[in-house]
Amino acid sequence: MSLRFKLLLLALSTLALPLAGWLIVRQMEELLRQGQEQTLTASAKALARSLAALKTALPPAGQAFYVHSCAGGMRIDGYADDWNQLMPYAQNIGPADDAQKAKLLLCADGDFLYLLAQVRDATRTRADASDENALLRDHLTLSLAHDNDLRRYLIASAAPGRFDARVLDGEGDSLPQVLGGSWREDADGYRVELRLPRAQMPDSLTLNEFDAGAPNNAHIELRPLLLRSPDISSDLAQFAPDGMRVRVLSAEGWVVAESGQLAALSSKSSTPALRRWFENLIYRSLIAPDMTRAQDFATNLPRLSSPEIWQALSGVAATAWHPAPNQGSSVVLAAAVPLKDNNEVRGALLLEQSGDALPLLTNRALLILIGASIGALLFAGAVLFAFAGVLGVRIRRLRDAVERAKHASGRVERNADRQVPLPLLGAKDELGDLARSFAHLLDEVTAYTDYLRTLASKLSHELQTPLAIVKSSLDNLDQQSVSTDARTYLVRARSGAERLGAIVRAMSEASRMDRAIHGVDAEEFDLSAVVRGCVEAYRPLLAPRRIEADLPASPLLMHGAPELIAQALDKLIDNARSFTPEDGWIRISLRANGDGAIVSVANQGPPLPPTMADRLFDSLVSVRPSTVQKATVVNGAPAEPPHLGLGLSIVRLIAELHRGVATARNLADGSGVEFSLELRGMPRRPLMGGMG
Amino acid sequence: MGRNIAIVEDEPAIRANYVEALNRFGYTTHGYSTRPDASRAFAQRLPELVIIDVGLGDEPEGGFELCRELRAQSPTLPILFLTARDSDFDVISGLRLGADDYLTKDVSLHHLAARISALFRRIDALNKPASKETVVEHGPLKLEAERMRVTWNNHEVPLTVTEFWMIHTLVRFPGHVKNRDQLMREAQVVVDDATITSHIKRIRKKFLAIDEAFDSIETVHGAGYRWRPT
Repeated sequence: MSLRFKLLLLALSTLALPLAGWLIVRQMEELLRQGQEQTLTASAKALARSLAALKTALPPAGQAFYVHSCAGGMRIDGYADDWNQLMPYAQNIGPADDAQKAKLLLCADGDFLYLLAQVRDATRTRADASDENALLRDHLTLSLAHDNDLRRYLIASAAPGRFDARVLDGEGDSLPQVLGGSWREDADGYRVELRLPRAQMPDSLTLNEFDAGAPNNAHIELRPLLLRSPDISSDLAQFAPDGMRVRVLSAEGWVVAESGQLAALSSKSSTPALRRWFENLIYRSLIAPDMTRAQDFATNLPRLSSPEIWQALSGVAATAWHPAPNQGSSVVLAAAVPLKDNNEVRGALLLEQSGDALPLLTNRALLILIGASIGALLFAGAVLFAFAGVLGVRIRRLRDAVERAKHASGRVERNADRQVPLPLLGAKDELGDLARSFAHLLDEVTAYTDYLRTLASKLSHELQTPLAIVKSSLDNLDQQSVSTDARTYLVRARSGAERLGAIVRAMSEASRMDRAIHGVDAEEFDLSAVVRGCVEAYRPLLAPRRIEADLPASPLLMHGAPELIAQALDKLIDNARSFTPEDGWIRISLRANGDGAIVSVANQGPPLPPTMADRLFDSLVSVRPSTVQKATVVNGAPAEPPHLGLGLSIVRLIAELHRGVATARNLADGSGVEFSLELRGMPRRPLMGGMG
Repeated sequence: MGRNIAIVEDEPAIRANYVEALNRFGYTTHGYSTRPDASRAFAQRLPELVIIDVGLGDEPEGGFELCRELRAQSPTLPILFLTARDSDFDVISGLRLGADDYLTKDVSLHHLAARISALFRRIDALNKPASKETVVEHGPLKLEAERMRVTWNNHEVPLTVTEFWMIHTLVRFPGHVKNRDQLMREAQVVVDDATITSHIKRIRKKFLAIDEAFDSIETVHGAGYRWRPT
């Protein structure tokens, strides 16, 4: 992983900033909400107290039958079609173990009170109400009460259709004497629909179902009728704050009174829809609290049933947030407080207030936070990225410079002015330290390399003076009268001195070559002609060894120093000659290679020791067995010039001067060794303008 | 009484050996170990030939300094550097200061003697009228063997003895390739290939300084050099 990428990852740590900000904003938002909730709850409580002060008749405690309001036009036909809307609110009057066996629905319009009873009874025993045994058959008992009057009616029918209820007992004028309705049956049970005039409407009623086939039957006490109360509504209208909706619920959650409208939010035309949508998204996903479902609080519900309502009906104030119906971006805060009368919960008061779903303050804070976070993230990322880039560039520069310096110190490069100084030497940071350490190290390496490189020339230089003493002394001794016996030693001493001289010369030659190579002027020449000329010159030199030449017929132009290449070839041939047996062969080949050429000299002979292959072209390395040289000393005539392994290092220098390499390898068939020079020509620009 | 030769050499053993050897060859030789010693002696009487080592005692370039002084005193005095310093740079410096030849210390006494006698011959020949027989002419080249003078288009080419002998070897048989060994033998020097190459290069430069179109010395790669026949 690159440094840049790592630092970029580090930049992600700035994400902690928006996280912390988000927590703070959420906290703030929660506080604001709590404030709002408390305010609304206080308002609701004030309203409840106002109602109490007005002595408004509260809905009755305990269970009641709720009388829905219907728009009229209910047909008494025994069919439930026109009741469909109310069906979900049907109140159960079945026995305790099967409450839903019988259901009751009441509704009233201006003229009549309508009643629908639905009984699930698969084991029908039919009888008309007028039948004597009707009380033992399946039937319904309806009790109506008004003030002190109470009357019971028996409702039964042997066949679907109209029926007349039989008055079982009870008196009073306020209640109808005759009650008729419609009876319908199906496979599951039967349905009874009837109505009575509004004028004869009872205060309370009960309907008991009798199933002849069932082991036990329910007995429902009289329950008061619960209607929408215009009194409470007008009281509420008096007190309800503007833009709020207030509802009074009975102890069972039935809506008894309702007043006020939720203020429709003025749509903010100033905010672009897209931005609003974006803000909404951010708010919803990051901050918005849990919402109660909107339909739990919808207008015109006869009964409200949500946890908040039940909490309020149990005597504890509660609040809830729910989205405003049909208004995507606003929310409604609902506060429910219990309505009490003598410490008895008689109902609940629900106060609702709509507000913008995006509280301005929170929203702005959030947006600023998000913007600042993104900005900080981008900025930190950019800064770190740039920093990493700069750091990387500096490190790369240092590395490249070190690489270059390594090449320069290990190779022919010696001029101080051509050595690029290391970058960052002046830097005060750790990289500067590193660069300085590198520079120090390179200086030492260079100094040591220089020492090694000049060792041969220094040594040869130092040896020349004592050698001259020996040689001149021997020359002088030659002129003295020396006995014949002693002359033998003189000859040996001279041969030793000659050899020493040859060694010294070879050593200084290497260093001189090194310098000569730098002073050389490149020219355009035909490499193939040079090699051909050399091959011809070598023939007599190498006899009786066979020479095979594999040279291209066409000229092979090269930009370089022909005499140096000829010298390199000399060295290679010289090397090959000393390893090739008298009856062996030497093969010289030249072939084009891209924009350069490859000159190879192969010879029959012993293979190279594998460990030497890399070091062969280094100075003072030789694979020659030293016994070869020793043998010649005895005769006093040095047939072979001494080998210091300088020849091949010169070859390497010449190859490098021509931007090439010198390589040595054993031939695949093991018959000999091949030395190759890969040459690409010297650089076109003058190597050193001022010299020579 | 032979010719008077001075050797300025800080190494006593070498100095003694050379003095003895040259005396044996019939010269009157005096040895000096430091530049001040030599300068003092030369101020009184100038020898006929001076052999100087470049490094003298604690003066690493004392020989060059001495050469400069002597050249100022006498423009014709043959001066020969005999030194362990064999780098091209030193050779060029020595020759530029007006030395007549530059030999390295691995030269044998015989070679040295031959060089000395050649220099004397050149001095002598310059004082005599040119004898017709020893003059070789090739186009613009005129080579007077006795005087060791070479002219090109009647301009004198300032060659050292070594360089003269190389040219001489090449010009005697124009068109014949002379390999490095032959050149070495003729010039009576024992040097390596690289030195021969740089000698040839120097000779070419000297000719080129006179005639930019000079290309008579031809390199035959792998074999040697030849004088391009006209």
